[in-house]
Amino acid sequence: MKMFDNIKQSLIWKSMFRRDYKDTPRNRALAIFGNVFMHLHPVKVREGAVKLRYTWGMGGISLFSFIILTVTGFLLMFYYRPSVDQAYWDIKDLEFQVPYGIFLRSLHRWAGHFMVIVVWLHMFRVFMTGSYKSPRQFNWAIGVILLVLTMLLSFTGYLLPWDQLGLWAIEVGTNMAAGTPLLGFEGPFSEYLGITPYNDVRFAILGGSTVGGNALLRSYVWHCVALPLVAVVLMAVHFWRVRKDGGISGPHS
Amino acid sequence: MKKGSAYTPYLFAFLSLLLLGLAGWVIWKDEVQLRPWKAYQQEYKELKGAKLQAEYDVAKKEFDSNGNAEKLEALQARLQAAEEIFQSRGVQEKYTGLVGQLDIIEASLAQNQKKLQETRGKYLEAEYLYIRGQKEQDKEVMQQLQGEIEGLTENRNVLLERKSALQEDIGELTNEFEAIRAEIRSLHKGLDEKLMAIESNDRMSLEIRQIHIRDAGKADRCITCHAGIESSYRLSDRQPLTRHPAGFIFLENHPVSEYGCTFCHQGQGRATTSPDKAHGWVDHWTEPMHQGSMTQSSCISCHGDIEGLRGAEFISKGSKLIKKYGCYGCHMIPGYEDLREVGPVLAEVGTKINYSWAVSWLQDPKTYYETARMPKFYLSKEEAESIADYLFSMTGTTRRDTLYADEDIDWDLAEKGKAIWRQSRCNICHTTNGKGGNHTEIHAPDLSKVGSKVTREWLFNWIKDPKKYFPETKMPRYRFSDQELAALVEYIVSEFQDWDFEPEYEDPVPMKAESIEKGKALVQKYGCFGCHKVKGMEEMQDIAPQLRRAGVTFARSGEMEEKIGAELSSIGSKPVELLDFGKVKDKIPHDRLSYVKQKLRAPRSFRDDLRMPDYRLGEEELGSISSVLLGFTDASRPARFVVPSYAEIEEFEGGTESHILSGDFEKLERDIKCLNCHKIGNHGYNYAPDLSVAGSKLQEEWLRRFLKQPDIIRPMLKQMPRFNLDKQDGMIQGNLESSEIETVMNFFRSDLVTDDIPAFLPDLDDGAVDQVLEGKRLYDEKGCVACHQIGNAGGSVGPNLSNVGGRLTAGFIFKYLEDPQRYNPQNVEPKYGFTERERIYLARYLMSLKLE
Repeated sequence: MKMFDNIKQSLIWKSMFRRDYKDTPRNRALAIFGNVFMHLHPVKVREGAVKLRYTWGMGGISLFSFIILTVTGFLLMFYYRPSVDQAYWDIKDLEFQVPYGIFLRSLHRWAGHFMVIVVWLHMFRVFMTGSYKSPRQFNWAIGVILLVLTMLLSFTGYLLPWDQLGLWAIEVGTNMAAGTPLLGFEGPFSEYLGITPYNDVRFAILGGSTVGGNALLRSYVWHCVALPLVAVVLMAVHFWRVRKDGGISGPHS
Repeated sequence: MKKGSAYTPYLFAFLSLLLLGLAGWVIWKDEVQLRPWKAYQQEYKELKGAKLQAEYDVAKKEFDSNGNAEKLEALQARLQAAEEIFQSRGVQEKYTGLVGQLDIIEASLAQNQKKLQETRGKYLEAEYLYIRGQKEQDKEVMQQLQGEIEGLTENRNVLLERKSALQEDIGELTNEFEAIRAEIRSLHKGLDEKLMAIESNDRMSLEIRQIHIRDAGKADRCITCHAGIESSYRLSDRQPLTRHPAGFIFLENHPVSEYGCTFCHQGQGRATTSPDKAHGWVDHWTEPMHQGSMTQSSCISCHGDIEGLRGAEFISKGSKLIKKYGCYGCHMIPGYEDLREVGPVLAEVGTKINYSWAVSWLQDPKTYYETARMPKFYLSKEEAESIADYLFSMTGTTRRDTLYADEDIDWDLAEKGKAIWRQSRCNICHTTNGKGGNHTEIHAPDLSKVGSKVTREWLFNWIKDPKKYFPETKMPRYRFSDQELAALVEYIVSEFQDWDFEPEYEDPVPMKAESIEKGKALVQKYGCFGCHKVKGMEEMQDIAPQLRRAGVTFARSGEMEEKIGAELSSIGSKPVELLDFGKVKDKIPHDRLSYVKQKLRAPRSFRDDLRMPDYRLGEEELGSISSVLLGFTDASRPARFVVPSYAEIEEFEGGTESHILSGDFEKLERDIKCLNCHKIGNHGYNYAPDLSVAGSKLQEEWLRRFLKQPDIIRPMLKQMPRFNLDKQDGMIQGNLESSEIETVMNFFRSDLVTDDIPAFLPDLDDGAVDQVLEGKRLYDEKGCVACHQIGNAGGSVGPNLSNVGGRLTAGFIFKYLEDPQRYNPQNVEPKYGFTERERIYLARYLMSLKLE
């Protein structure tokens, strides 16, 4: 017992556990204040706000999907090489050879689809409950950006299996980009800016003028590094704003 | 729990159980359901284990029954005795003493070696210093070290000598039982190996196995399930554990470890989760596995020549059919680009045939004779007449039929003609009333009804000089005199009549201009010029002449030169989605093979406006053609797999090694078409003997005589026709100089020879033996008589040998007996494995067989 007390008095212990067990309001508050994740969470949640029929739980489920996607995506990266010669066969090997590979990939794919749907429903709920109104205008804007990021994650992930479906989806998608006013070579007014197929926005997305090895690599880097990073930062801001704007909006606020 | 809370323990319990169940399902799915190969491998392992065990049991029984057990016992008793002696005190003391000495010597050897290395190092250092500084001092050091090295080396040699002496002494003590042990081991060796095989089979783990072909990016996992595909054991006749069929052809030449599986079989080589996936029988897998003979279509992707390729008989047949029917006339097919049109020239067809015959032929060629190559175009009678009008309009202005009634025939003349017909062996190539036509490699029309088809005048001129009418014909020019020709023609028109034939126009009837015009349009529409040379359309191959006439211009000029049918150079990779199944959409399966087969079976069943004619192929014929066509794919394969065709090799080598006819002989050959039957190098056909090395094989005198008057060496229907090469000798007077025989002789002597065949037999130094008698003894002993005939005795599978000594050269016989397939891989004579001596005896004996 003496030894345990000594340990609890040590600097190492104290730096990790900064409060007592006792269930006092102070300790409860400290638990929140001292934890970055709890810090993002509202201090208190109204009873009406956790009712499923009001929020549908869509925000939380979006986060949950994102976590699943991060974990499975991380594991998939061990088996996938973003090169024209190998990408498709690596996907095939995930199905045929890697233990639980097909489970991993299916989970990633379904969670991806699920997240897109859930994020849309979240948006819909927020709109229908008027939760975008003052004081939550800023967080609505963050949410819109997160929606776009979700879409982009889905779009960039589509190409990675390097199959016909993905290839033509990206072909179509980037051809739409080519129709962007001013910035796409097929868009209106682009001729005044000297835009050609070799310097327009489509070229920037594909890293070339056709869907090829560069497009695959770009998709991979955006999908696995840049977009998730930005999304995580914005999600932190998003949750933190929920707290700052008075918690999850409810029927009476 | 507060009232109104959303959660209850039951919901949590339910969800937890659900999650647990799901986790269990995932594990079962991945470990069992998605790994069906585990069961196959387990089964194979058990079968193999049982087989190995059975083999071991048999060997063990044999081992025991051969008195080996007693032998083993005796050896063990001896071993025990020897060991006892060794263990006895005196010997043991001596042994330990010797071993102790050996240890000491080995230690000093090691020390000596170390010192030697050090000294050598120092010597090198001193040498370096001396070379740099040229100081006397260093040189002295060098000399001193050199002395040390010599001393040490000598010491080492002394030590080594003592070591080997000691080892010998020790050996004397141990040799005996070591020898007994070795004997026991060798006695046991066979059984031990079998036991080890069983153990290694037991140790084998169940796992995914693959063949990785790095340069092709292939990983074929087929052997994961097909565990016994290469095995020397036949463990199961049930898939997937069977052995590869005909492995001695396919696997021996394409080891699985080097070629994998999917280069030949297609399918999805990486898949391991279900047979359908692995075999590529799933949606959107563009290369479903080939089955049975269809697998041969993959041979095309690497092999330049498929005709005659062992194991590729099915596609070989298909390739011959493509050449026979001339598919390449309308379609671009890789490898068939430079072949001649299959149909005859139509320039002067109006002078050749009867009008009524032409109309009925155009409507359905098979009503004239069953083996007609020309397909059915489903023309109406009116359309057929228009085309006939167009063709007749090139040489005249009227429709007419010429029929020879009995009273027109000079029967005496016809009787003479019959003899000529027989001697000329027209029936080798041409069928008449179901007879003849044995030489199936080249196509000659059935002549049963030719008397009702052509005119006397045309026939006379045709036989007189076939090339004049049709420069690329295969028909040889016989050297007949005009009288002989007249007799032959009389015989043909009198004998080969169609008694049902009723001419419509005995008198010339003028043809209508619009009908001629319409005929021309039809000829262009159906692309008759794909197979026939049509006057004025020699260069025409474009796809839409009507459009061109209407003033349509094509974006790419290349389109103007396309053949009339679809290009087939990558039909084997064409996505199924791009194939137009049209009206038969619901009637046949949607895959490439079914489409191609249906196209060949009923070319116009897909849509109404299609132009491809009906060849009326049998199921097997269209199967083999399909298998060739599906071999033309976009798939890439490593360059090291490619086997170039003879033609490519010839081109590459500039024709130096190959037999390309030259000079006077070439002219003569073009006339009498030696290569219609014989083969020289890669040219010609297999009907008559291969002449590639005939100059070394045949005796000059015999050859000269044979050319003058061919006699019988082979069965009747294979007998060479008489070409009347020498007018003095032939029964029929020809127009030719005997110098032509010399032309043939010269060509044989200069071109058809090989250094491979010695001019003389090697000398044998065995004085007393009568070599000829010895050869005869061998001839009788080996049973040659079963196939060959000498005098009146013997079989008729092989050539008659009664005059072989007057025909073949001794050197040829000598080389031929070594390997009968050397000069002709299709030869049926077995390889007897004669020694050189035996071959000399046999050659001497056979050379003694002569007829005068």
